[in-house]
Amino acid sequence: MRNFEYMKPDKLEDALSAFQEHEDALLLAGGTDLLVGMKYGLLRPQHIIDLKAISDLSAFRNEKGWEFGALTTIRDMEKSEILRNRMPFLCQAAGTLGSVQIRNRATLGGNLCNASPAADMATMFLAMDSQVRIMSVNKEKVIPLDGFFSGPNATVLGKGEVLTEIMIPEDIEKCRGCYLKFGPRKAMDIGIVNIAVLLDADKESGLCKKARIALGAVAPTPVRAKRAEEILNGNVLSPDLIAKAAQAASGEINPISDFRASADYRKELVKILVARVLNTLLAKSPIS
Amino acid sequence: MRGIMKMKKTHQIQVAVNGEAYTCLISSKTTLLELLRDDLDLTGTKEGCDEGDCGACSVILNGKLVNSCLVLAVEADDGEITTIEGLDRGDALNPIQAAFVDSGAVQCGFCTPGMIMTTKAMLDEIPDPSEEQIKHYLAGNLCRCSGYVKIMDAVKSSIKRSE
Repeated sequence: MRNFEYMKPDKLEDALSAFQEHEDALLLAGGTDLLVGMKYGLLRPQHIIDLKAISDLSAFRNEKGWEFGALTTIRDMEKSEILRNRMPFLCQAAGTLGSVQIRNRATLGGNLCNASPAADMATMFLAMDSQVRIMSVNKEKVIPLDGFFSGPNATVLGKGEVLTEIMIPEDIEKCRGCYLKFGPRKAMDIGIVNIAVLLDADKESGLCKKARIALGAVAPTPVRAKRAEEILNGNVLSPDLIAKAAQAASGEINPISDFRASADYRKELVKILVARVLNTLLAKSPIS
Repeated sequence: MRGIMKMKKTHQIQVAVNGEAYTCLISSKTTLLELLRDDLDLTGTKEGCDEGDCGACSVILNGKLVNSCLVLAVEADDGEITTIEGLDRGDALNPIQAAFVDSGAVQCGFCTPGMIMTTKAMLDEIPDPSEEQIKHYLAGNLCRCSGYVKIMDAVKSSIKRSE
């Protein structure tokens, strides 16, 4: 790595001004993507702004829904007892990312802003109807996470804009969920296909009140399988309906062929695994 | 947490490593791994991949197991670090080290410091882990020599020795 200027402000406004002032500056959270990029010479910032001294950014709390500071670590989400009780699927998803060593440093905001199409937290939070708060020197805005990603490793963040908070609505807690990261290894891998599913179904009738399906590693960004969701929403869940939804999901993705898998294999995997996850969630609910 | 309010290329940092205080002058780009090995002569921590995939550089920073190759030394300013050298008990081996030796879990030995640091971090958090928990916790430490069987034996033996 080449040397660079480094600062660690303890106030967000100082970070925002510095980020505005230095065009080439990059933000340092967990460093588990940034430092790798720098070691490979892919990223060559002359200025780095370490956000970890800014106290508000790393807490998460429950008011109406949930609010996660961008610097919440993956490990803190994985180990949180309150999250395990209220949204176990989130802890499960967090546990699939990297290793303990990585999860102790990697952050939610970093995973979203690095914007890999296979990003685990990006895919899970996309299924959770998330919104994100974006701040810059004179502006603050809240936008849906759906629309935040613009391409592989690209987001809509403009010059001087910093992701500070991720919010999810309270009705997400009513859902059962599952995150499936499919690949040849049980850990330390990038998924060939990532599937995040949330289901809120009536216990007696099996009527699906809310279905959310987000898919990773099968398009230039993580994506919602909205046609599949439409097939499920408002209908009584059954293996047949699920098969139709999974088929639809397979049709609304745009995977590439790379050294991990071919596009055709990814499409086939989505069809099979979306059905498998939905059927598993269906079986766990008392109606069947 | 102490901030650094102005952009700088070199930094004077304070770190406590294995209970000893050090003041070091470093560049922004110096990693914690480089600081430990090159500046502090603590060469027990190994560089395996330098990109956070192999775990050979694992240390405990402020109570958390991390890959020191992905931490800038300046990020560790004011921090407490435990390395493999900090686990010795004078002339005696730490129970985890003894378990690794006795179980035949050390072939070339390069992954071993990282494996032991991870085992220590795990047992500090989960005193009686299941087989699945052990595998999940050690997933970030790779061994190119063994088939991991004796490493698993050593970890399980460490649990008994700590009781």
